[in-house]
Amino acid sequence: MADSDIVILGTGIHPFGRFDKTPEEIGAYAAKQALEDAGVAWSDIQTAYLSRMYLPATSGARILRRLGGTDIPIVDIEAACASGGAALRQAVIAIRSGEVDTALVLGVEKMPRGFMDPSMIYSPWQVKMGMSMNPAYWSMRAMRHMHEFGTTDEQIARVAYKNHKNSVHNPNAMYRKEFSMEDILNSRLVCDPIRLLEVCAANDGAAALVVTTAKRAKELGGRPVTIAACVHTIARYSADFRCPADSMSATIANVGPTALTAQKAYEQAGMAPADISCFEVQDTDAFCEIEIYEELGLCAPGEGGPFVEGGHADIDGRSPVNMSGGLISKGEPVGASHVAQVVELVSQVRGDSGARQVAGAKAAMGHVLGAGGNCAVTILKV
Amino acid sequence: MSNRSNAELLPVKEGLVTGAGKDDVTLLGSKCLACKEVSIGTNPVCLNCGSDQIESIKLSSEGELWTYTVVRHKPPGEYLGPDPFQPFGLGLVELAEGVRIMAPLEGETDAFRIGDKLQLKPWILHAADGKAYRAFRFARKSS
Repeated sequence: MADSDIVILGTGIHPFGRFDKTPEEIGAYAAKQALEDAGVAWSDIQTAYLSRMYLPATSGARILRRLGGTDIPIVDIEAACASGGAALRQAVIAIRSGEVDTALVLGVEKMPRGFMDPSMIYSPWQVKMGMSMNPAYWSMRAMRHMHEFGTTDEQIARVAYKNHKNSVHNPNAMYRKEFSMEDILNSRLVCDPIRLLEVCAANDGAAALVVTTAKRAKELGGRPVTIAACVHTIARYSADFRCPADSMSATIANVGPTALTAQKAYEQAGMAPADISCFEVQDTDAFCEIEIYEELGLCAPGEGGPFVEGGHADIDGRSPVNMSGGLISKGEPVGASHVAQVVELVSQVRGDSGARQVAGAKAAMGHVLGAGGNCAVTILKV
Repeated sequence: MSNRSNAELLPVKEGLVTGAGKDDVTLLGSKCLACKEVSIGTNPVCLNCGSDQIESIKLSSEGELWTYTVVRHKPPGEYLGPDPFQPFGLGLVELAEGVRIMAPLEGETDAFRIGDKLQLKPWILHAADGKAYRAFRFARKSS
């Protein structure tokens, strides 16, 4: 670890689920845990960022009030499902600039049950015509993948089987129940071919990170984890068919946002896919994870189905994915999602993950992707 | 229902949909004179290269199904399709101009297959406030 490295020194998380608690309460809960884990005082934090999508204006300032009097700046950041990556990136930039050496990154969300409010991202005509359902987009991508590569319903269900199975060991997941392949394949269709037990739910949750320099971490002691890369992009023209797109080009196919962001992150970290011990990725639906294996370079294009079927993404597989249970089990409180992925990955590279620990994990990647083509990838290492 | 059929038809999306009478619909697009890329609707700049040298074009009324799904739950928000809700096909339809447009599919949901030849169809939507909209769907061409 070089003195110039930027590190995560402490993490905190409030379980994901549905709670009769305010964003301020769950946000402060996660923040206090992160400060304690880092061994730093609240007064040591010099700047803060809040990742959120559904919370109202000034939410960040309101959460900080719960930690005690302060005058440090906090900015509320939104980049759809990639909001957490965008917020962490701001902390990295602020520290790298030399203006501050210690920052707090919060991810907090409280969301209504059911489908997301379509007016947040769709145009009125898309809503009128019935084109405002996020799972419809995932499903159309799945159908095309099945058509081109022969991906099967069973392979898609295998992703959900794995993630539900992993969730049993994660006390912070909303659903912690193992389902059989039969249960999953018999659950009702949401949008063909995607089924109920293969999609994630909107919910509440919070997570927090204390970010600082390696130099400061050495002074403080503790167990720092290096941020080897933190990249946020939006999809290039016609690179991705994802909500709220109403069309795509049939003549131009740019590299997809996951592949693009991962490529930049691998470059920033000086690492290749084989150097990464484990992954937490955006399984908003089970199919999505298959496509992500391919785009992260864990297998060849079109091979994502056989990859998961062969057990390669299992905790004891070649490239373990979603040890936490993924979004399918945890739920997706959008603003908290990536920050919580990083909490999980810090725990993995520290060797603290208990029954869901990947043996010998030294480097880990978190990936999120959502509306507007927003994508973020963070790579951690010890 | 007669007052409904006489209501003035508004385009569901200005610059994307036009037509004469309730049995007619045409889709409009934008062709970039710089990079030749075609996009749906009437856009001031090319969504690919940013050029403002744009030609308005009519898009084909026939296409091929590139991918699809079946929507099995009522979409959230002010959906104006059949009430009570009926599951419907939803697809990306590839047009000869080199663009794939997302559109609801008319007809039996189990019948659709990638590669199906499709025909553009007018679809009139009635809102609770009395407004009527000219929208569109695609249906399989009768063999």
